[in-house]
Amino acid sequence: MAEKKPGASSKKKSVRPAADPVELKMQRDTFVHTFFKKGAEFTEDLLRENERLRREVVDVEEQNTKLRTQLKSDQAMRELLKKIEFLEREKQKLLTQVHEVEAVSTRFSTRYAEMEEELSTLANLYVASYQLHSTLRPKLVLQHLRELLAQLVGARAHAFYVANEARTELVPVTSDGVAHERLPRIPLGASNPDLKNAGLTAIIERVFLTGVEHINEARLAKPQGLAKPEDDAPVACLPMRIDDAIVGVIVIYSLLEQKEHFVAVDYELFKMLGAHAATALMGTLLFANAEGRLPGFEAIEHLRSAVGGMK
Amino acid sequence: MSAEFSCLVVEDSPMMRQLLVFALSRVKNLKVVEADDGVDGLRKLAAGKFDIILTDINMPIMDGLKLVKRIRIDPVHKDTPVIIITTEGSVEDRKRALELGANAYITKPIQAPQVIAKVKELLKITT
Repeated sequence: MAEKKPGASSKKKSVRPAADPVELKMQRDTFVHTFFKKGAEFTEDLLRENERLRREVVDVEEQNTKLRTQLKSDQAMRELLKKIEFLEREKQKLLTQVHEVEAVSTRFSTRYAEMEEELSTLANLYVASYQLHSTLRPKLVLQHLRELLAQLVGARAHAFYVANEARTELVPVTSDGVAHERLPRIPLGASNPDLKNAGLTAIIERVFLTGVEHINEARLAKPQGLAKPEDDAPVACLPMRIDDAIVGVIVIYSLLEQKEHFVAVDYELFKMLGAHAATALMGTLLFANAEGRLPGFEAIEHLRSAVGGMK
Repeated sequence: MSAEFSCLVVEDSPMMRQLLVFALSRVKNLKVVEADDGVDGLRKLAAGKFDIILTDINMPIMDGLKLVKRIRIDPVHKDTPVIIITTEGSVEDRKRALELGANAYITKPIQAPQVIAKVKELLKITT
């Protein structure tokens, strides 16, 4: 290819010399090559960009999924919180109900225990009364009286005093845990300072005269059964009545080792004894005086006419 | 309904016996047989099988401790629970009774709920 001189081309500006076909071809090839090269580069750029964008789309979709999951999770959390609140309220309600039921249950338990105690007291009273009035034989009545005090009350040493007909003295009729012969007769209404244990007999006399029982709570706290029971102040003295008349005194000198104090049932038994012991005793004495003859219908008829108008 | 358990009460005091029978009548399905001293108790034991025995100590003819000794060598009743119910409240008395083979020791005056609870416990009655 011939070289082109710069002076020659400027001089021949108006007349364009015919291009060298070879050069033209070269120029075309260069242009085409450059064009396709750039096109290829551009396409590669486009592909890369496309790839980047696709990755971005994937990332965005992933983020979107995550956000959506998060949203769902938050929703679930809110629902769970609501459920927890509801359950807490339910729990409180149930706890309140449980406390109410417990309170009712405690009331029932207390009441049940009270009923048990009442039933036990009634059983004691029923059995004592039943046994006391189940016989007219003096020996058995006295035995029942002794058993009642020993087995039901827990008295270790006791005696039953009855007034004589003239009501001038109290005489021991039966005793347990204390030598009968050691028990003094107690004169009534005449103080006798020479009598052994004047203080003790004074208590028994006072109970007989006033009809007011004597319970020595202080004596209950002391150890018992160490001294001779009849030498110590009695634990309890109870008047025995028939209607309004005092006919004798029950004296409890000491209690069993395991019996530390009187309980409610003991006081009920004392009341029962006060009202029934003398009746049972006198009934049996009347029966013995009648030589064991039981009154028949005639006796009731006789009584009816004597009293008059008895129905 | 027939009784599921049978109980022998050996007690010489009619009052105490009646009170025990009254208390035990509150235990469901418990049949109570009474004996008024140790010998009578042995007689009743020979005539039948009992699930539990309650006995006093101080009784005429044969006392409760002798009865417990006899029960513990009786092939039929040697394992039968025995409850001693007595006025004797000392530690020595209690120890002696338990050494002879008694399963429980209750002192008089009795509390019915205490007797019922002990009988139920030894018979393994839960209601």
